[in-house]
Amino acid sequence: MNAYDYYSILQGAIFTVSLSIVSLVIGVPLGLGFALIRWAKVPFFKDLVQAYVNVIRSCPTVTLVLLIYYALPEFGVSLNPLPAAVLALTLSTTAFNCEIWRSALVEFPKDQLDAAHALGLNRLMRMRLIVFPQIWRSSLPGIFNEITLQIKSTPAVAVIGIVEITRAALRVGSNTYEPLPPFIFALLIYSSIVFVFLKLQKYFEIQMKEKGYI
Amino acid sequence: MYSRSVNSSLSQAKPSALKRKLIKLGGLGLLLSVVSFGQMQLSQAASLEEVKARGYIAVATEDDFKPFEFVENGTPTGFDTELLGMVKKKISIDIKQDIMPWPGILPGITTGKYEAAVTAVLVTAERKGTFDFTTPVAESTTYFATKKGSSIKSSDDLVGKVVGAQTGSAMLGDLKALDAELKKKHGGSGIKEIVEYQSYPEAYQDVGNGRLDAVANTQINLNSLIQTRPDMFVLGGKVGNPVYIAWALKKGNTGVQQLLNGALLDLRKSGAMYQLQKKWFGATFEAMPQSVN
Repeated sequence: MNAYDYYSILQGAIFTVSLSIVSLVIGVPLGLGFALIRWAKVPFFKDLVQAYVNVIRSCPTVTLVLLIYYALPEFGVSLNPLPAAVLALTLSTTAFNCEIWRSALVEFPKDQLDAAHALGLNRLMRMRLIVFPQIWRSSLPGIFNEITLQIKSTPAVAVIGIVEITRAALRVGSNTYEPLPPFIFALLIYSSIVFVFLKLQKYFEIQMKEKGYI
Repeated sequence: MYSRSVNSSLSQAKPSALKRKLIKLGGLGLLLSVVSFGQMQLSQAASLEEVKARGYIAVATEDDFKPFEFVENGTPTGFDTELLGMVKKKISIDIKQDIMPWPGILPGITTGKYEAAVTAVLVTAERKGTFDFTTPVAESTTYFATKKGSSIKSSDDLVGKVVGAQTGSAMLGDLKALDAELKKKHGGSGIKEIVEYQSYPEAYQDVGNGRLDAVANTQINLNSLIQTRPDMFVLGGKVGNPVYIAWALKKGNTGVQQLLNGALLDLRKSGAMYQLQKKWFGATFEAMPQSVN
């Protein structure tokens, strides 16, 4: 492995991290929105959300990527590899985040809402002051678990030509015929990325403790 | 509190159960329609006129099939990429090349996202049913390679051994045919196990660490392996019969096929293609036919 080989795997890390972050920045709040639709039992839309979540959960990420890249052009939407990758990863993580938020909402004690109602809080205030702080706290471990899973599911987009960490490592190995060193280097990068996110989770949890939420 | 919420969700679930089922069916229907739509339109590739109107031909190339195509220091290189560079200079339309792994390449051709797979596609009888090929760019025979010092010398020695090849490859087909032949010859005993790999670097690694006794690939690929790692690998015997290697197009896209063929045949006539073969494979294939379809 020469210096450029290490550099190329690091370049792959930029794609891994930015694709994960973009999809999560869209997917985590969108998942909350979808979970609220199901929680509030909005007619028709709640079934639509459920159908979406079921389809995505049953579809492997690689298959979803291939479907978006190769099947959408038949409907006149021909995406370049990068937008197709973002779309596939976002669709995937949104479904899982929806379920994480929903599990917190399902467990949310409804008598608190009744009490808030009695105090005259409107719907938005009930959400902002009563519901969200509590479901955020109970969803945090699940969301950070999904973040680490999302980082590790990015190699799926390599199939349409995006060179993330694993693909970059494979390319180096196929040129030098020594695949082990690039894979060990790739593992080190994955570990450091996940380590940063776990530190962030710890930071959020300490903050909650200081505020007396936990 | 609990009993109330359970009751309310139950009473709400009943009337909407049917609707929910309908929505689920709708979702399934949407998925199926996507799939069937994809198949309905399979025959429509960008024809020569459409390509000319768009201004470029879209092609896909692999990234880990040295020496045919690989990425070195961030730049795609290898025999096919350099040959494509020569073709570009001969035709008036621009060529846009995307680099991607093997599993994405052939679907890219059948769905029409790319006009041609500018990558080493071995011309087999099955593939002829789905693809049209350009004039051949190389010729090769499937061989096997072993770890240095192995007792396996000829294909007969593969009886009772574990051998690897890439999944969905023509080399895997050759290996299976050899296994059947060995079984006939040796009274039912053939290759112990055929292991399929996503790509060759992993298979070579497994030969190195003893998990595989041998690996089957084209002689050209194995020569490149042995030149880079003579400390570890040696070439064994023949596994299959000679096959041609060509670029694949969607069946019926004769316009683009003829455009590429014109340039490729010119490069054969001038000898430029043979020089490139000499550079990357160490041998030339001047006796190849003009068409392999």
